Amino acid sequence: MAIDPASLDAPFAALAAFDWGGDATTLAPIDAAVVAAHADAGLRADLEKRLAAVLGSQASRAAKQYACRKLSLIGSAGSVPALAALLGDKELSHMARFALERYAAPEATEALRKALGGVEGDLTIGMLSSLAAKRDAASIPAIATLVTGDSAVAAAAAEALGLLASPEAAVVLAGVTTSGAAAEAVVDARLACAEAMVKAGRKADARAIYEALSKAVGDAPTTHRGRAVRMACQRGLFAAMEG
Amino acid sequence: MATPAKRVAPAATRREFLKAAAATGATAAAPYVITSKALGDATTPPASDRIVMGGIGIGNMGSGDQNAFLGMPGVQYVAVCDVRKKWREEGKARADKKYGNGDCAAYVDFRELLARDDIDAVHIATPDHWHAIMTIAACRGGKDVYLQKPETLTLREGPLMVGAARRYGRVVSGGSQRVLGDYRGIVDPCWAGEVGTIKELDISVGGPSLFCALPGLPTPPDIDWELWLGPAPWEPYNPGRCDGNFGTGGNSWRSYSDYSGGSLTDWGAHHFGGAIFAADLRELQPVKVVYHPADGKHGPYVSAEYPNAVAIHHNRPQPLRPGKPSVAHQGAIQIHGDGVKREPKAVPLYRNGAGSIYADFIECVKTREKPFRDIELAVNTMATPHMIAIAYRLERSLEWDRAAQAFKGDEEANRLVDRARREPWII
Repeated sequence: MAIDPASLDAPFAALAAFDWGGDATTLAPIDAAVVAAHADAGLRADLEKRLAAVLGSQASRAAKQYACRKLSLIGSAGSVPALAALLGDKELSHMARFALERYAAPEATEALRKALGGVEGDLTIGMLSSLAAKRDAASIPAIATLVTGDSAVAAAAAEALGLLASPEAAVVLAGVTTSGAAAEAVVDARLACAEAMVKAGRKADARAIYEALSKAVGDAPTTHRGRAVRMACQRGLFAAMEG
Repeated sequence: MATPAKRVAPAATRREFLKAAAATGATAAAPYVITSKALGDATTPPASDRIVMGGIGIGNMGSGDQNAFLGMPGVQYVAVCDVRKKWREEGKARADKKYGNGDCAAYVDFRELLARDDIDAVHIATPDHWHAIMTIAACRGGKDVYLQKPETLTLREGPLMVGAARRYGRVVSGGSQRVLGDYRGIVDPCWAGEVGTIKELDISVGGPSLFCALPGLPTPPDIDWELWLGPAPWEPYNPGRCDGNFGTGGNSWRSYSDYSGGSLTDWGAHHFGGAIFAADLRELQPVKVVYHPADGKHGPYVSAEYPNAVAIHHNRPQPLRPGKPSVAHQGAIQIHGDGVKREPKAVPLYRNGAGSIYADFIECVKTREKPFRDIELAVNTMATPHMIAIAYRLERSLEWDRAAQAFKGDEEANRLVDRARREPWII
């Protein structure tokens, strides 16, 4: 059933005034319109424009988060600027990613890449998480610069490279200097890369990783973690063998 | 960027590799399940006399799980973790009472518990939005995991959890005690071939979870709200968001989509789990979910179609009436076959005569076998209600490509395969 955009004026007025504890049923027509927009490009464009406008307004955090949730379903390149503007906002960065991570538009990925170099601390981890979820190989050089030392960011950067699990990511991981939790994340990521290599038929490359990690952990590790890594290497070597 | 230089390893074969492992005293491995022993892991303690355990998320189901493990010979329970003080203290008290000491450690942050190297295995019974992160972290730490159902919150989480379990050779058991405990009445005739070739199943259970707009209230001092939320979107504290009762009617985390799949995946984990087990579909995932719109008399319903032409209907308005050749469980599950008797198959029970899903897990921790509700089977099972929920949300039918773990030709549906996690959480 076609939805008249004018019928959404009142629900969007309710959204502008919405806050936690408010009557969410007043927003139900927007929910329904988002679903109906699948078959109505005009409605979709109108909704996207209105939802993006909420992000730049004086609406509450709750209202902006609601808008991000809806944009995550129907958003396109058109709403990327409004969301990108929130990536550095400690309160709304996550919900901006909640939407952008789901966008197929390359502009969304570009916005996350750009933000990776412009935010700090946990927000950087957020960008890493979303870029990895989007399997953005182009971000590997930028991610590579973060895998150093023993910070949570370094660990997350290693994690991201493991999720990307490409030969390029494997090269980066083989050359990094880390310690502590970041070093453990590097091991996990290298194992992920090796598994991807086995699947891709690059068994010799995979074996090289498994052998290096196996050597590092030793023949008789004394911790659960060490034994698990050794187990992963043994399994990997088995999988990477011919015949 | 350059690709790694090719390095040629000795041309050992798998046969030679296992032969070398066997020379260390290891037992031969089945082709699919390669145990740590088969790979010559001589450093792993032998099938242990004592499994050291801790619990993460220790209220409600967590307390039940803890009691089950506490009562098990061979388990030494040493630590609890919960972001809520009351449950943390109650969990510690249960363990201390059992052992007559004050030794059980209590943690707010699960990472501290997982960092303890003396702990062999953990049970996890947090809200669903934490399951994947904690399970993967535990596997990386070399710990085995008993994970309450529903094991996943999103479709993407499943393969990541299975991958972590397999990579590190961990025993990861899902946690529906009812699948085998409650549904033998329908499982046995199906596996005995009495129902014939199964064509359709009807599941009656509640629907998907909801958006939560509860008002913010002052956060009480006995809960770490940031850690309770974890990867979920930040929302203000309200007890209706986080209280751990078993309801899904809007006054429990089980009601809300940031933390749970709702009744559809909560009780659904049991009902779908029982039906899928009875129909021997645990290795499969649906190829299609068909959305049936409301017809004026009844609300919408969704059918999940499997590659072997079996269909599971969720809340179909007029399911076939039970009776031969159908079997039913309390109106929640109906299974319909063609009535042409088939060759019976042995029902795969808990390992080595274990009497419960908890004992099954402990048995597998010792033997390194796959447990009854191995994480991969649990992930497959939960994929069905997750897909059904997405069909309800989008109000249309969808096709699923299992190999790609994606819906075919529906970009919006693929947006719902996962969700961004709040920083600093990443999987």
